Amino acid sequence: MVIGSLVIDLLGPILELIAPFIPGEVFPLYFTKVYYQRPLIAAIVVSIVAGFLGTFLLIRNLALIGDGLAHVTFGAIAIGLVVGWVDPLWWALGLSIVAAISIDFLSYRKWLTGDTAIAIFLTGMLGLGIVVTRIWGGGSLASVEGYLWGSLNLIDEESFNFIVTVCIFAYILLIIMYRSILAISIDSIAARVQGLPVPFISLVWSILIALVVVSMVQIVGVLLVTALLVTPAAIAQLVSRSFLTCVILSQIFGVITVLLGLYYSTELGTGSGSMIALVSAVLFVIVAISKALIKVFYLPNENTN
Amino acid sequence: MAEDFSPVCGEEILHVSNLSVNRSGNEIINDINMSITCGEFVGIVGPNGGGKSTLILTILGLLKPRTGSVNVYGKTPMSNATLGRIGWVPQAATELPHNLRITVKEFIQLGLLSSSFLKQHLDFFISPTVFFKRRKKNQLKVENIIETVGLKQYANTMISNLSGGQRQRAAIGKALASEADFLLMDEPMVGVDLESRNSIMRLLDNLCHNQNKTIVMVSHDLASMKRTVHRMIYLEHEIRYDGTTEDFPDLSSLAELRGIEPTHPEADSTKSDVTKSDDVVIIVSPGAEGGES
Repeated sequence: MVIGSLVIDLLGPILELIAPFIPGEVFPLYFTKVYYQRPLIAAIVVSIVAGFLGTFLLIRNLALIGDGLAHVTFGAIAIGLVVGWVDPLWWALGLSIVAAISIDFLSYRKWLTGDTAIAIFLTGMLGLGIVVTRIWGGGSLASVEGYLWGSLNLIDEESFNFIVTVCIFAYILLIIMYRSILAISIDSIAARVQGLPVPFISLVWSILIALVVVSMVQIVGVLLVTALLVTPAAIAQLVSRSFLTCVILSQIFGVITVLLGLYYSTELGTGSGSMIALVSAVLFVIVAISKALIKVFYLPNENTN
Repeated sequence: MAEDFSPVCGEEILHVSNLSVNRSGNEIINDINMSITCGEFVGIVGPNGGGKSTLILTILGLLKPRTGSVNVYGKTPMSNATLGRIGWVPQAATELPHNLRITVKEFIQLGLLSSSFLKQHLDFFISPTVFFKRRKKNQLKVENIIETVGLKQYANTMISNLSGGQRQRAAIGKALASEADFLLMDEPMVGVDLESRNSIMRLLDNLCHNQNKTIVMVSHDLASMKRTVHRMIYLEHEIRYDGTTEDFPDLSSLAELRGIEPTHPEADSTKSDVTKSDDVVIIVSPGAEGGES
């Protein structure tokens, strides 16, 4: 509980300070009431880490691994809820890490391509989760539905602490490792020759994806994880001209997506995950179109891609 | 260009003795011996499947020899003593991931990473002065390298906007950043136009002469190789020629060297080099795979 309450103590007053400037009728509640502050902070923290990680997912052509691991998470949570585990998220984290490492191992050994391995884990675990819920969970999917689409009501003190701890840990890991992850993503042989411990870095990388995905599941839902993991990074790629700006912009676009998504979802009464996914897609389209227009009208002679 | 060259340091960098390497059950390299000393610029030529890339991968330590041994700086490859001293410029240097947004400077900086990267991060907390001093030193180093490889005006340009030849220079820069003094290059001229080939060759020649680097290069581009390298090795499962560039047989006698007819109408098109390089001189024929001369 330590890190979670520390963060809320630190950021709570700041959120209250800016609350008067927040538009909308319901949305300002997120800044004043502790019960709502938690999901807001969790969503922002998650979007920052997801944006950072997403940049590497795109480079490694693994845009869908988040989806795959989210489904694994769902399976684990469904089982956990039925069996009555106390902390289903921690169990889900363990299982996701195992799945991420297996996916990496299978594609490294070239037994399966990354896509195939992801697809097998994805459908298998989603199926398992639903079957388990149907048979032993009373036949209704109501208890796990929040995890499918994402629901801020799921974020209580305990899971808030989980999300914040995991995200801070993941972010520190990313800052320390991001250059070496980039190096092995570009050319793993060159990285090995340089002396980088490639197997170790791959292991950390797999663990990182699992950490971020599991912390995202409650906010955007299993089915929509990719929206927050990949889309901000894709938007950043459209406009950035160096790796560093790409990484920073990706995080900024993530935060913008989450804030807009939460605003519209509370004002219109839709679920958080679906609105965040919709906003991120719309944002991508807007940026892509304006980029194309700028290219046509203002920079007709410049060669960019 | 290939004037008389005497290495300054004379230290033996690479020693290969009685090396045989198998790949997926086939013997690719059969009992070869060679030795490369500091400051040499060696070109390895030969048909596809003749073992050029296999030899390079074995020197790097990524393939294990079946018999015989490879010693780099007197140690087995991939041991702690050799890590970071070998620079690797891959064949795919020009084929970077499609989604990569990275500038030349950032790309070359990646070459600075070494096995102690975690320890270097810890320095930030333990002794910040060391951390920032090294940071400053590395920045200077990268700037120097960018100038050496002739990409100064492109330092902040994205790699994806560069030409094939410029990307190749960036890849060489990345290898240089790791403080390697033994550079291994696999087909650095693929996807590079003729003009850039010459300037890359000049760059490599400079590295050899002025910075005392040792370079081993695999290439199909006989023409520009012959103008720069000091020593040629013709490898087709075994070494068929190893000597000065001047004495390297010209195209018509190459076939003689290999003990086959010069042209082979039923040459296996999937194995020929036609698609890879525009001035192809050697075409693999299935009949020569056995390697008997």
